[in-house]
Amino acid sequence: MTKLDTFESVFKAADKPVFSYQPLAIGRVLLVTDLSQAEADSFLGRVREFLGAIDRAETHWSAAPGAAFGDISQLLDLVEAEHPDLIVTYRHLHSNAWNWPFSLGEHLDVLTQATSTPVLVLPHPDAKRALPHSIRNTDRVMAITDHLAGESRLVNTTLAFTRPGGTCWLTHVESAPIFERYMASISRIPAIETEVARETIEAQLLKEPHDFIRSCRAVIEAEGLQVKIEEIVTMGHRLNEYEQLIQEHKVDLLVLYTKDEGQLAMHGLAYPLAVELRQIPLLLL
Amino acid sequence: MHQVPLSTTLLFALLLVAMILSLALEEKIHAKKSVIAGVFAALTLFLAVALGLVHPETVQILGLPIELPLYIPGVDWEVIAIILGSSIFVDVTSKSGLFTWIAIKLTKASKGDPLILLCLYGVMTVVFSAVLNNVTAMIIVGALSGVSLGRLGQSRKLLGFLVIEGLLTNVGGLLTLVSSVPNIIVGSAAGISFLDFFIKSSPYVVVATALTLWMGARIFGIERLETAEAKAEATELVAGFDENDGIESPGFFWFGTIMTGLFIATIASASVLPVIDELGLGYVALTFAVIALLRYKATADRFYQGIDWDLLGFFGCLFIVINMMEHAQVLELIGEGLAPILALGDLAGPGTLLVAAAAASSVTDNIPLAAMLAKILGGLDLAADSPYWWSVVFGANLGGNLTPIGSASTLVAVTIIHKNQLPLSFAGFVKLAIPFALAQLALAVVYVLLVLS
Repeated sequence: MTKLDTFESVFKAADKPVFSYQPLAIGRVLLVTDLSQAEADSFLGRVREFLGAIDRAETHWSAAPGAAFGDISQLLDLVEAEHPDLIVTYRHLHSNAWNWPFSLGEHLDVLTQATSTPVLVLPHPDAKRALPHSIRNTDRVMAITDHLAGESRLVNTTLAFTRPGGTCWLTHVESAPIFERYMASISRIPAIETEVARETIEAQLLKEPHDFIRSCRAVIEAEGLQVKIEEIVTMGHRLNEYEQLIQEHKVDLLVLYTKDEGQLAMHGLAYPLAVELRQIPLLLL
Repeated sequence: MHQVPLSTTLLFALLLVAMILSLALEEKIHAKKSVIAGVFAALTLFLAVALGLVHPETVQILGLPIELPLYIPGVDWEVIAIILGSSIFVDVTSKSGLFTWIAIKLTKASKGDPLILLCLYGVMTVVFSAVLNNVTAMIIVGALSGVSLGRLGQSRKLLGFLVIEGLLTNVGGLLTLVSSVPNIIVGSAAGISFLDFFIKSSPYVVVATALTLWMGARIFGIERLETAEAKAEATELVAGFDENDGIESPGFFWFGTIMTGLFIATIASASVLPVIDELGLGYVALTFAVIALLRYKATADRFYQGIDWDLLGFFGCLFIVINMMEHAQVLELIGEGLAPILALGDLAGPGTLLVAAAAASSVTDNIPLAAMLAKILGGLDLAADSPYWWSVVFGANLGGNLTPIGSASTLVAVTIIHKNQLPLSFAGFVKLAIPFALAQLALAVVYVLLVLS
């Protein structure tokens, strides 16, 4: 490695994304259900209690019953007419496919990608898969990603949904299988010392989110927010890792990105997480 | 000195020209400096012995008779020791994160304003060139310029920054006696002390730096940010730099800082410190290198791998070649050639020598030039404060700014420019650099003639 590369690396490593705090304002919340109007209104009360952290005097809450839309096109029209800041719904609207936990259902599939509005996905009311602590409050909210550094929006959203005095987990799980695949290739390259590469690459991958969380802590403390920040930065098999974390920390809400500018479908990690993590609410950004 | 036939002198002169040309075409012939100088050292030694110019002699050293190989006495071991010791010392202390800490602190202090950034980086280039060496200074500041301007979305200004920084390395190289190799060689031959060198050169360095930055800002259109929004955005962007990221441990950081301060202080006062004044600057540099290596005593060998052996080998061989040229009376011949310049008088003489030295060092290595001229001027019994010494110092350093191959640091600047996918040809560099180089040289001539004469 030349000296020029050495110093370039030092300066690039020193150039870190800094957390920028911006309070989230959610003025309109739309609950989309396949229930009757009375059931939907009743469910809305429960949802409103659950989302107390974002409930302000000026927040407008509304519930759409199943009769309000017959197909996806009508659902999108409804969303456009209401222009909510947050959509709350559950998987498999107008379908009993919730019995088979292999997809999100056609309505939710389209809704998450066709609108730019965040979608809060609750466990299905009939599926009985929700954990006992689920849909009660948002004392324990977890942001999950494989690229936390620089993701201020994700952190701001997570903070907004965490009740005052609650705990906000900022997590970054680096994919161990992908890392091992690269390491297997590196181990076949004579010019690169495998053990040095393993140690330094792993350390750098985990250092970046760690540094960002440190920056988040400093800003949150300076802003005087009553939220405890917990850090989980690790290598692992992402799905297993998150299932374990949800159980271990009794997480009330998971916050994750689903959009990928380069494709129409959800990005790689989001879809399997959204399909399989059915025990607790997920906020899909 | 014995009589040498003119044909022998001319043969050796031809070899000297061939070596200088080979060094100038180093990149084209794909040969390292040490190899080129090594070939000519071997050849000139062989010819000198074969033609009876030199013979092995037994000399008395510290009261003991020692038969020295012919290639030993010609080498200026003080210069070799200073370069070897300084490079190890700088290599170890740079691991402490001190220099990157300073660089990032200054970046943040600029609040991302391009003009302030240019001024701070310019001053940093000059100071780092003086304290470290031109090449390391260019690498540090050039690497940081690429990263920080990229972060600020100002990459279109990178070419201007890199060219100005490259030109300032050679200005900074004038600041102290140990800032560049020509300074060490000429200063050592003339008997100029570190402090005296600094006092006499620093006013020029300050003015030349300010002039270069002013011209650079105008030529490359580097201006201050105008709106409050742009200023706030830039401040936020550079705030992301963490100056502590490159610091291995706070203890080592302070060790590096204190040792660097002590090193500069000791070098500066070496000529007046008892005992040290007898041991010389080479001893100081090597001793500080050893002390610095204590931090890495178990893995010190990896710093030996980082030593620029090509440069040291080049110096060693170059000194041998010049020594043989002295025996072949080539230097005397060149000295006769310089006689008309010296005869021009106290004003025109040093001025002409400065310009001639700059022109020569713009197309070839300034080290053989400085070594040769130092030998020739040394033979004239000039006083340490003679302006001729300063003409060589200023000419040899500033000549490197005329072309990209004129100095190692401008070559590094061009390498960084190309690494950042910025198009710049040899002629393109000359076109950009020439107004700066001419202004610096004109200022140097005026300074040497009016202030140092």
